[in-house]
Amino acid sequence: MKKVVIAVLLTMLSVGSVLAQTDTLALDDNNKIIYYQVVTQPASPADTLYNKVTLFLKKAYPKDRLKLVKLDKANSTLSATGGVLVSKKSMIAMHEDASVGFNFVIEVKDNKYRYWFTDFVVTPYERDRYANFVPVAGKSYPIEKASGKLSTDDYNGYLKKIVANCREIGVILKSYTNNKPIAVKQTQKKTAVPKEW
Amino acid sequence: MKKLLLVSLLALGAATVNAQDKPADPPLTITGSVDAYYKYDFSGQKTNIPTSFASDHNSISIGMVDLALKKKVGKASFVGELSFGPRGQAQSILPTPTGPGGAESYHIQNLYVSYDATDKLNLTLGYMGTFVGYEVISPVGNFNYSTSYLFTNGPFQNAGFKATYSFSSKASLMVGVFNDQWNVYTSVDKANTLGAQLFVSPVEGWTAYINFIYGKNRTITSGTVVDLTTAYQITDAFKLGLNAASYSASEGAGTGGYQGVALYPQLAVSSAVTLGLRGEYFKTKTGTLATFGPAPGESVTAITATANIKSGPLTFIPEFRIDNGSANSFVNSSGAATKSAQQFLLAAVYAF
Repeated sequence: MKKVVIAVLLTMLSVGSVLAQTDTLALDDNNKIIYYQVVTQPASPADTLYNKVTLFLKKAYPKDRLKLVKLDKANSTLSATGGVLVSKKSMIAMHEDASVGFNFVIEVKDNKYRYWFTDFVVTPYERDRYANFVPVAGKSYPIEKASGKLSTDDYNGYLKKIVANCREIGVILKSYTNNKPIAVKQTQKKTAVPKEW
Repeated sequence: MKKLLLVSLLALGAATVNAQDKPADPPLTITGSVDAYYKYDFSGQKTNIPTSFASDHNSISIGMVDLALKKKVGKASFVGELSFGPRGQAQSILPTPTGPGGAESYHIQNLYVSYDATDKLNLTLGYMGTFVGYEVISPVGNFNYSTSYLFTNGPFQNAGFKATYSFSSKASLMVGVFNDQWNVYTSVDKANTLGAQLFVSPVEGWTAYINFIYGKNRTITSGTVVDLTTAYQITDAFKLGLNAASYSASEGAGTGGYQGVALYPQLAVSSAVTLGLRGEYFKTKTGTLATFGPAPGESVTAITATANIKSGPLTFIPEFRIDNGSANSFVNSSGAATKSAQQFLLAAVYAF
């Protein structure tokens, strides 16, 4: 019985450490929050990687989530903008609380690429007359100022959502550079009912 | 033991996957609000200032509980918003012959289906909050708890079909056909009211809506309204709103109408406290039509000082209001007609 309790506690601790994994966000030289990754891609010339990343930026996401804004082949750099919705949840209620926009930059070299998300900007949402939640005009602010505007729980929730979104985009990007692109809509977990049970 | 660990790790894996997945469609959204208030009229009158809601004197009273459901699958969505309580029922819905206070008119604030025909064109059919005016029925959508004369006398809701085309995020145009009577589910005779709204956002933080509705009916809740609703978040702390409108009564309802303008400056003094004023000038046009306001040919100027004090989802709203008429539109503590009325209220609005 003791072993079971210890196992459960250990598992809970490991879950907690994963959920609290916001260390992938860091501050850059300008004290701006940034999510930065370097990915090795053996046997991949820079030109090939550049073309695959271009395809990713054009095809992987709808434009409100990720939109290609600049191709700079001379410097092997690609730039995009994007956004992710942050929802406020309770037991039964949920609605959009804000959107977080960002800039996304990818640089490629032979056999590797790196990317970073930065310039996170929070746009709060409010209820309109049609019972929809819509962006509040003129109230956007950088994520670096969010801790003074949001409760601690909300602020941590926003950071978790940003990290989850950055990770997801990174996974989808890698699927493109691996020539096995994952369609975003197909990443939802599916449960099949087996014929034999 | 091994099975337990395996199950736990699988659960962890599932949680990690879910954190990275993008759901194909957003889940059912449930939102709403609950509000209550205390109001004191300084003349001690049960009815004095005639604008909508916050109407009970020296009484701890309820507004409404409001529940809105929304779901979008692909290009199609619906909204169903129900309200229960005086604010959402008898105080905002027209009485109908079908029952006291409108037995069949209760509860519905929004009930519509919507379809994104293209990325830029949206089609909507149903019963919707009106596109006209600055203030709304939901206390969550207003800064002031009491309402303006322009709101009280304008449409609350319109049933109809509308198409909205977005030229960009800074400009859109809506045109629609609506029932001949505002604020009820069915038309009196026909769906013959035309509505249009031009939205422009000239600079970041500034939104402007030019609204037009034209219809003919034998009741007061029809006619022609030309309306400008605009708001500008000038700085992070200061917002200025403006509503101006002119209404001409429909044939059969009488002659005349109203016109007015309201200004809404608001200053956030901290992340939790915002102070605001509403200054309104409202005039009932000369004619036979009576409004919820001054007599035909007369006017009223209303100043409302309001604070919004937020604590999480709860907003406390203390408010002081003074209305001055060009004629004796109000009643003093002796019961005699007078040109002015004052009231204080404290409201609490919980939004979820």
